[in-house]
Amino acid sequence: MRRSFSKLAIAVVLAITSLGASGCVLVRPEQREFLAEPAMTFGSEGIAGEQEEHVLSNREGSAGAGAVTGGGCGCN
Amino acid sequence: MRSTSTIALAALTLSIASVAAPARADTAEIDAYTTLFYEFGGPLEMLIVNPRANVRVNPAEEVSITAGYEADVVSGASVAVVDAPSSDVDVISSATRLEDVRSVVNGGLTLRSPFGSLRGSYAYGFESDYTSHSFTLGARTDAFERTATFDLSYARGFDSVCDLNQPRVQEAVERRRLDVSAGCFDDTNMDRMTHDLALQSFQGSWTQAWAPIFVTQVTLTGQLIDGFQSNPYRAVWLGRSAAQEHHPDNRFRYAASVAARLWIEPLNGAVSVFVRAYRDNWDVRSITAQLAYEQTIDGSIRIRAHARYYTQGAAAFFSDDYSLRPRGQYFTGDRELSDQESFMAGLSFVWALTPGSEGADLGPLSSFRLVLKADFIHHEFPGFRYARASVPNNNSIMGTLGLELAF
Repeated sequence: MRRSFSKLAIAVVLAITSLGASGCVLVRPEQREFLAEPAMTFGSEGIAGEQEEHVLSNREGSAGAGAVTGGGCGCN
Repeated sequence: MRSTSTIALAALTLSIASVAAPARADTAEIDAYTTLFYEFGGPLEMLIVNPRANVRVNPAEEVSITAGYEADVVSGASVAVVDAPSSDVDVISSATRLEDVRSVVNGGLTLRSPFGSLRGSYAYGFESDYTSHSFTLGARTDAFERTATFDLSYARGFDSVCDLNQPRVQEAVERRRLDVSAGCFDDTNMDRMTHDLALQSFQGSWTQAWAPIFVTQVTLTGQLIDGFQSNPYRAVWLGRSAAQEHHPDNRFRYAASVAARLWIEPLNGAVSVFVRAYRDNWDVRSITAQLAYEQTIDGSIRIRAHARYYTQGAAAFFSDDYSLRPRGQYFTGDRELSDQESFMAGLSFVWALTPGSEGADLGPLSSFRLVLKADFIHHEFPGFRYARASVPNNNSIMGTLGLELAF
């Protein structure tokens, strides 16, 4: 079970790396109009989202792995 | 005193946010936000006002410099001795008042190139009984024809916590709690001492656009905390006496999240989901799930509705009654370490203008953004009681007003 999971993980990483290396781009630049929308950008809640996370992490016993801003549309 | 371990994570988040937008040369941006958090129900109400201001200047396209200030102004009531005998005294009605102000100043530098960006920041936090220094380094790069973004960051915190000096006390069960912050960080005051707390946070994320309308993000966080992690003001009833709560000195926290956003073209809006799993070596485990829909109107208005569910298991050493059910050498009166569930729902509104949009003449401004946000949160603490009373202050509201100007 553990070995088959490792093989699957390696296969996924190799597949993604191959996609990039081969130039087989998933989304071409001219197709990124919607990805550039603020609603499609992680962390677009900005400072209001940070303040929400700040309050919640002080009322709960866990924290971390919040949204990392930006990325994905190649716009920056 | 604020929860310690969130300070480094907040600095880390701040550092990441500072590279959120592409920069143009010779521009400047000013942000001013205020969040109000009010927890209510019974005598244990709590009000936190969090004003924040940031300035970012971009002397060149490749360079951004940020500086900021934020504060937490806290007022309310808390229970100093958790589960003390209460045959003739209602432990909740005997809650003590507290008022505190935490301030944080920060600064950062971001360098960009066609290959990615590097960033560094520093934050200094101070209040009457707690100080913190936090350094963050981060790097980001795009890959696969810029459909993927990888981000790594590392934060290091050096904190100091004030406590009552008790040199003759050898056992944790004999330690008394700190009652007031007066005299803290005063080297001449022999009644006070300082504990160190070291924090290290690691975070990595992978953001990937899979289709013209679909993007995902995977984030992993690990945090090591070493030092005094109890609340020095809180005591726990142990049977014959009350002692200052006693938490382990080491905590290793790790969390993983997966998020996805899907654009729905006929509606001109996006659905987003976020799921996070968390665990630490105190055996606190939690799951967070969030669902949101964001509607874009005429390109300048965004309305977002969101709902969040959170569930958490108690720390291994948590007990609701240490006199009857002790749980080893550690004891806590912290409800954040008990079983809990929370439900949150809210709305946010963003109005963003650039010159020419909606016929706007913004004068010297290159953009204007107004943000309004409101949330309602309900907590359930099935395993935590103050003597025989359930937690009364388990509802809260949170509101944010923000203004962002770019020149």
